Amino acid sequence: MNKTSIAASVLGLALAGIAGGAMAAPDWSKAQARKVTVFHPGASGLEWIMKGTEHGGARGLSRGETCIGCHEDEKTQKIDIDTDKILKGVKLEPKPLANHAGSIPVSVQAANDGTNLYLRFSWKEPKGGAEKMDKDNPVKLAVMLEDSKVMVKDSKGKDVKIGVAAGCWGTCHTDARTMPGADDKKTKYVKGGTLANGQYYDLMQWKSGKGAKPVDGHVADKRVMEGGKALVSAEGKKDGDTWTVTLTRKLTGGEGDIALVSGKTYNMGFAIHNDHSAGRFHLVSFGYSLGIDAKADITAAKQ
Amino acid sequence: MAAKQGWWAKLRSPSVKFSLLTLLGGGFIAGILFWGGFNTGMEATNTLPFCISCHEMRNTVYQEYKQTIHYSNRTGVRAECSDCHVPQDWTHKMIRKIQASKELYGKVMGTIDTVEKFEAKRLTLARREWARMKASDSRECRNCHTFEGMDVEKQKSRAAKQHENAKNDNMTCIDCHKGIAHKKPEGMTEEEAGG
Repeated sequence: MNKTSIAASVLGLALAGIAGGAMAAPDWSKAQARKVTVFHPGASGLEWIMKGTEHGGARGLSRGETCIGCHEDEKTQKIDIDTDKILKGVKLEPKPLANHAGSIPVSVQAANDGTNLYLRFSWKEPKGGAEKMDKDNPVKLAVMLEDSKVMVKDSKGKDVKIGVAAGCWGTCHTDARTMPGADDKKTKYVKGGTLANGQYYDLMQWKSGKGAKPVDGHVADKRVMEGGKALVSAEGKKDGDTWTVTLTRKLTGGEGDIALVSGKTYNMGFAIHNDHSAGRFHLVSFGYSLGIDAKADITAAKQ
Repeated sequence: MAAKQGWWAKLRSPSVKFSLLTLLGGGFIAGILFWGGFNTGMEATNTLPFCISCHEMRNTVYQEYKQTIHYSNRTGVRAECSDCHVPQDWTHKMIRKIQASKELYGKVMGTIDTVEKFEAKRLTLARREWARMKASDSRECRNCHTFEGMDVEKQKSRAAKQHENAKNDNMTCIDCHKGIAHKKPEGMTEEEAGG
């Protein structure tokens, strides 16, 4: 058994202590699991998905359709994406990857206890062996939350709620680092996004590396990997070939933390950097709705 | 002048040599031969070998088409050039054929006689064909494909959703399905992509 466990920051633990008994882990057997397949997206940034000459679904996005509305089977929750073609570089990938999984089905669960939101991700580690881009961290998992405020313009200049439609894609631009020919210092961003206008994504990340600290930040005009006050803990362990990562986050935090209210629905996307990958070479999810005591793709019901 | 009058007069005057039956029968047989020959000739210009007998087609769009599902697929049903580019019914086919005779002039003048020249004109040529298909409500596509005949359960989820939206919006096949049998031309607009 290979087990790694990463505790949260001292501050996080102290805050959790204040929260008292509320820190008790939820009974995961009572939380319904939602299958979400994460996949290699290649260099398909926001500009690509909104461009009709490249992506036939741009028309759907303009109409307010979500990615999963077209790319996920309602009944089987299987996704419909040519990940293998992308991995091989047939399309959307100028740097083909060998010995790398094109997609991983992940079991996602959520719960809340009135104080914290609990998110649990579980998946079987696929065979790897590709280039080790991040030597320190074999695996990382990042989650982004959004409050239906981030907008982008479609080709006719119409506003599209991209957080609702496409989750993390609202931050993923073709001129950001690791994209082909992009500035190496430019991180994820929301065009015209600020904390003040609410057009930002809340960002949390767990890293598997020894002694690696979890990230609690946000993405507005640029990616900020600190400053969040909501993340209580981020823990991950590997049993056999199965990873389980649990994030505990206060429903309300500080600046850059989306305040989560019971009865409301938010937008969520997550990404797994498996097999020592880095930058855009992560496996990503489409955007899903996250309901706090509200019916959604993923519901965090109170326990 | 006298000879001319003679010809005209001969044509106009009733026959004294042949019976009415011979004239009618001969005319009938000649009509069949002419009509059969005409249609056979026209059908010959509707075949794949005829289309690719010119290098303008053979070296460019034909090579692209060979990579697509309309050329090779699981069931072996093939849609050839004319299935998409020439109407099936006689009237529209005749109109199209007469229009296409202009291509002979292009052939003689060498308008697209190199791959480079073809590429330079690809967008113009494609736009012409998109406009024709749009104006006919994608009639040639619909000779084989219909919304009614689609089993959305058997389609991929994204295709099922797109077809549902297209049906609700009264869209036509070519609104979205550009570049399915040939390379998408450089410079096409978002509007043309159906966006």
